[in-house]
Amino acid sequence: MTAALVVGAVLAVACVVLVALPFLREPAARDDRLTSPDELEQRRLSLAEERDRALATLKELEFDHRTGKVSDDDYRRLVGPLRQQAAQALRALDLRAEQAADERVPTRG
Amino acid sequence: MADLGRAALVTAFLLLVYALVAGSLAAWQKRRRLAESAQNALLAAFGATLIASAVLLAALARHDFSFQYVADHTSHELPLGYTLTAFWGGQEGSLLLWLLVLTGYSVAAVLTGRRAGREVLAWVVPTLGLVGTFFAMLLVFVASPFATQAAAADGAGLNPSLQNPYMAIHPPMLYLGYVGLTVPFAFAMGALLARRTDERWIVATRRWTLAAWAFLGVGQLLGAHWAYVEIGWGGFYAWDPVENAALMPWLAATAFLHSVMIQEKRGMLKVWNVLLVVLAFCLSIFGTFLTRSGIIQSIHSFTQSSIGPWFLGFICLITAASLALIFVRLPLLRSKTRLESLVSREATFLYNNLLLVALALTILWGVVYPILSQAVTGEAATVSKPYYNFFLHTFGLPLLLLMGIGPLVAWRRASLRALGRTFLWPLGAAVIAGIALLAAGAGSSRIGVVAYTFSVFVLASIALEFARGTAARKALGGVGWGGAFSSLVARNRRRYGGYVVHASVVLLAIGVTGASAYQTVHEARLKPGQSMSVAGDRLVFRGYETKTESNHRAIRALVDVYRGNDYLGRYKPGKNQYFAEDQVSNEVSIRHDWLTGGDLFLIADQVNANGSIDLKALQKPLVNLLWLAGIVFIGGSLIALWPDAREARRLAERYADGVVRI
Amino acid sequence: MARRGSPARLIVALSVAAVLAVFLLYTSIAGGGTPSLRPSQLTGHTGRVSLMGQVVGKPTGDAHGAGLRFQLRDVKGHTTVPVIYKGSVPDLFRTGRDVVVDGHLRNGAFVAVPGTLVTKCPSKYSPKT
Repeated sequence: MTAALVVGAVLAVACVVLVALPFLREPAARDDRLTSPDELEQRRLSLAEERDRALATLKELEFDHRTGKVSDDDYRRLVGPLRQQAAQALRALDLRAEQAADERVPTRG
Repeated sequence: MADLGRAALVTAFLLLVYALVAGSLAAWQKRRRLAESAQNALLAAFGATLIASAVLLAALARHDFSFQYVADHTSHELPLGYTLTAFWGGQEGSLLLWLLVLTGYSVAAVLTGRRAGREVLAWVVPTLGLVGTFFAMLLVFVASPFATQAAAADGAGLNPSLQNPYMAIHPPMLYLGYVGLTVPFAFAMGALLARRTDERWIVATRRWTLAAWAFLGVGQLLGAHWAYVEIGWGGFYAWDPVENAALMPWLAATAFLHSVMIQEKRGMLKVWNVLLVVLAFCLSIFGTFLTRSGIIQSIHSFTQSSIGPWFLGFICLITAASLALIFVRLPLLRSKTRLESLVSREATFLYNNLLLVALALTILWGVVYPILSQAVTGEAATVSKPYYNFFLHTFGLPLLLLMGIGPLVAWRRASLRALGRTFLWPLGAAVIAGIALLAAGAGSSRIGVVAYTFSVFVLASIALEFARGTAARKALGGVGWGGAFSSLVARNRRRYGGYVVHASVVLLAIGVTGASAYQTVHEARLKPGQSMSVAGDRLVFRGYETKTESNHRAIRALVDVYRGNDYLGRYKPGKNQYFAEDQVSNEVSIRHDWLTGGDLFLIADQVNANGSIDLKALQKPLVNLLWLAGIVFIGGSLIALWPDAREARRLAERYADGVVRI
Repeated sequence: MARRGSPARLIVALSVAAVLAVFLLYTSIAGGGTPSLRPSQLTGHTGRVSLMGQVVGKPTGDAHGAGLRFQLRDVKGHTTVPVIYKGSVPDLFRTGRDVVVDGHLRNGAFVAVPGTLVTKCPSKYSPKT
């Protein structure tokens, strides 16, 4: 019975401590803001996704062509616009990065 | 001890409420420390639940019959293994298992969920808290596993048919699946609440969904195997509401797994994806509601229990809240790309999704039909096998075919000429197989021939994919065939793991077709010395033998099996009479034919006082493919789940938190 | 990008319509479900129904011979109906168990469709989830 009591007490204390931990560690936090990507960062993220997507599609097209799922004609027809798309995405990302470097300080160290 | 268990559950409940309330506040007002505190509350809730579980397990292990739950589900003679697994043998214990798995998953989700972004995680925590609060509330206020009584001398024991290794492990597997679907749901809601439109939440939950889906699939197969060998009516799936309860979310999750691939590759179908994950989650809660509430007549259901209305309320709350959220965030979910061609891989995925959802919904309709008809006409009506089989064939066969077509079609737009070439071999193989099957007499079942032909088509297309991929990799130089193969699979784990999983589904389809469309059944009353035959095997009844064991008396019929002039062995179907539970269980005898993959299934239907037997024998061709399919399924899922270092690096770079790269 | 209707929407709409059509076709041909009735609700039903009730009295006869005969009573009532059943009998079948069986009402007795007898797991062993 006492074992149960002890375990119960330890449990209760541990839970309270765990829950209060962030406040105990930083009683007066300098910066209590939950950072979320701002407008700029959101745009960078979606550009990064677009770039990855374009590159992945290109890679898949090459693979499909090599394994015969896409005919030579289709490949020639599709690869041009896809390469343009990928290049565009890469350029936009670089541009965004340049702008950001000029305009602001990096958000977190 | 029971007090500790109760206290632990109350603690878990309070912590989960805190996670819900504080977490929501923190996410809304963007307060970091409060958000971390709410996260920690989830971790602590897991700890509390673990303690409660340990208390119950300990009580089971020492046969503490002052615990009502222990007394209801175990007895002194019950072997230790089943005594421990009785943990999830009843309502309260299984709810505790659910909470344990849920909090466990929550901890893992929180610890690994940084990738989705802090602001998303901040909303994931209260969502998980909400679901956890519900189950904790049930455990504390409605169905406590720690109810005590005056210690009884012995317990009621476990239903003998549940004393089976498959049944012991079936619930945890199912729960790892059911509960696992909560995580992608929470992340989807988190992303919507945080107004995130990118794919981070999908990337973060991809493995979760796959793992939960795999567990759910394996859990169902285990259940089917148990039904086959233990209940022993000769089948493995009866379209019982409890079985359907697991199948429906699995189908929705299958659709979701495929449609997220489209969102990742093309950025389309965002709204559909979110709706699907909500559907999958709601169906999983609905599924557990079905099995517990007794609202649908099922041979498994608990009698009308008070827990039903709670679940119903929770489902309504979740459905309404999720749909409202989706509606409000609809503008954010507009995608920029369109479906370009009806003949493209995206399109085949879309067809696959539609078929899966259609199948899930028709099953759902069949399951709720009794309630609806009761409400409308005052008389409950049930639908049975023919209904389910019809829709299984109508939607399932095209799905089977699509599994073969999908991989062969290119993204965006496939030219018909290219299609013709890639289809040639699989199509040819299928046609040849079809002709061979008809020649071999498989024409007795039209559906059977169609299913087999489609299966050959899919297997051929999968084999071709591996072959072509390996050849292409080898052509790049530097490796031999083996190296090319392993390099191919290692670099495209999801794709080729997925192909292996497809192959397992085809094996399942072949096994199911053989065992149902082509089975032979014969029954006869035999006196010792008499024989009957079934599909070429002759069965001779030699009499009975009885044996008394510690907790039951075993009666076995001795049946000698002959095929032509060959003696195949003696098989002993019969019955067990359990003393403590005062129950009889059916013990079937199965002869596996390893060459053909079929089974000879013997049931001692009725043991007669005059020494004769009513014997029922079934020949089930190819049924063992079902279990083989399970193993292949696990293998394929493991390949697809295996972490990929290169991909991890790429994603880390993409989602570098807050740092603007130059 | 111009907001032309994506073919995806069309496909979804057509599919939904197709599924509904298949569904309606099926139910109109195969009919609605089988009514689930208690013995007290049986009178007047001539077609195939699903009868639920509790086994009372002692079952007699041979299910694999001339037929197993037993009385089925409303779980929460008094009306009983005699049942004649042939086919496999589940192990859990005995007096006091709740069972479900399909069949037709013929001359005051319920003639079961062979093989459709199903027993519910007794609540004492509240079985699996």
